[in-house]
Amino acid sequence: MPAAANLHVLIVDDQQTMRSLVRTGLNQIGITNTREAPDGEEGLRAILQRSAHLVICDYNMPKLDGLGLLRAIRSHPPIKSTAFIMLTGRADRDLVARAAQFGVNNYLVKPFTVQTLREKIEQVFGALE
Amino acid sequence: MHSDPSGHAAPVRRISVIQGEHAVSTDAGAVMSTVLGSCVAACVYDEARGVGGMNHFLLSESATGARIEEEAMRYGAYAMEVLINDLMKLGASRAGLKCKLFGGAKMFDSLNDVGAANAAFARRFMADEGIEVVGASLGGRSARRIEFWPASGRVRQREVEQAPEAVVAPKRAPPPPATGGVELF
Repeated sequence: MPAAANLHVLIVDDQQTMRSLVRTGLNQIGITNTREAPDGEEGLRAILQRSAHLVICDYNMPKLDGLGLLRAIRSHPPIKSTAFIMLTGRADRDLVARAAQFGVNNYLVKPFTVQTLREKIEQVFGALE
Repeated sequence: MHSDPSGHAAPVRRISVIQGEHAVSTDAGAVMSTVLGSCVAACVYDEARGVGGMNHFLLSESATGARIEEEAMRYGAYAMEVLINDLMKLGASRAGLKCKLFGGAKMFDSLNDVGAANAAFARRFMADEGIEVVGASLGGRSARRIEFWPASGRVRQREVEQAPEAVVAPKRAPPPPATGGVELF
């Protein structure tokens, strides 16, 4: 059972408000070790610089989108096993299937509750302490 | 009707934006309209690219009793995000976006001023995202009818007698009005 406090999470979203919402939600479930990036390119740079256990990433972003970041992570051997949860809008649900082809671990449909965020993370890592 | 550069009248395309929805357009002849009570509409546009859009959201206290500020954050952020994403798909530049905000009236004498929470959220969101608010008409006690020309960012506002959401009873009975009808906001 992983300790929430030990998880390192990278949040990637082009909207500061959404990053803040995710960070607040993570904090509420005991995950306080977070970093943030405003797009896929910055996210890739950040995770290559310092690895994370989990990336929570928006799908729609300028420059490199969520799918692009997922593919890039899966193609870099040192970080390819990083867990990846995709944030999607309701209309993007059909794209989850494409993300699954590239090894997405889970997805989260916006707007979401803290409880749903916890459940999605626990589906990837097991129950959090 | 509006005139194109050659002087010919072109048909106006009217787009009604109802609660919970949004619309985007590059059509110079399009006019988006909505009627707001405690709802807020964000009219976001990139004038240089001739792209604009409007959303219309009502963020009320949830059935689970969650604080309205939290609800505003959760659902409001999503309402804004889908609008901005669709604007960018039509060619808008994130850096070129400007915004005009409307609505957020206090339509009921209740302790929870949902309109104020919606308006505060909208202002905070735009500030956090670095989108300049170039005009706003928020709060008050009157419903508003908004017409928005998305390609130019022009807006016309009229006060109306009663907003649609004021006619529909809230899902939960509002608390009794404060003695003497004291306004908290």
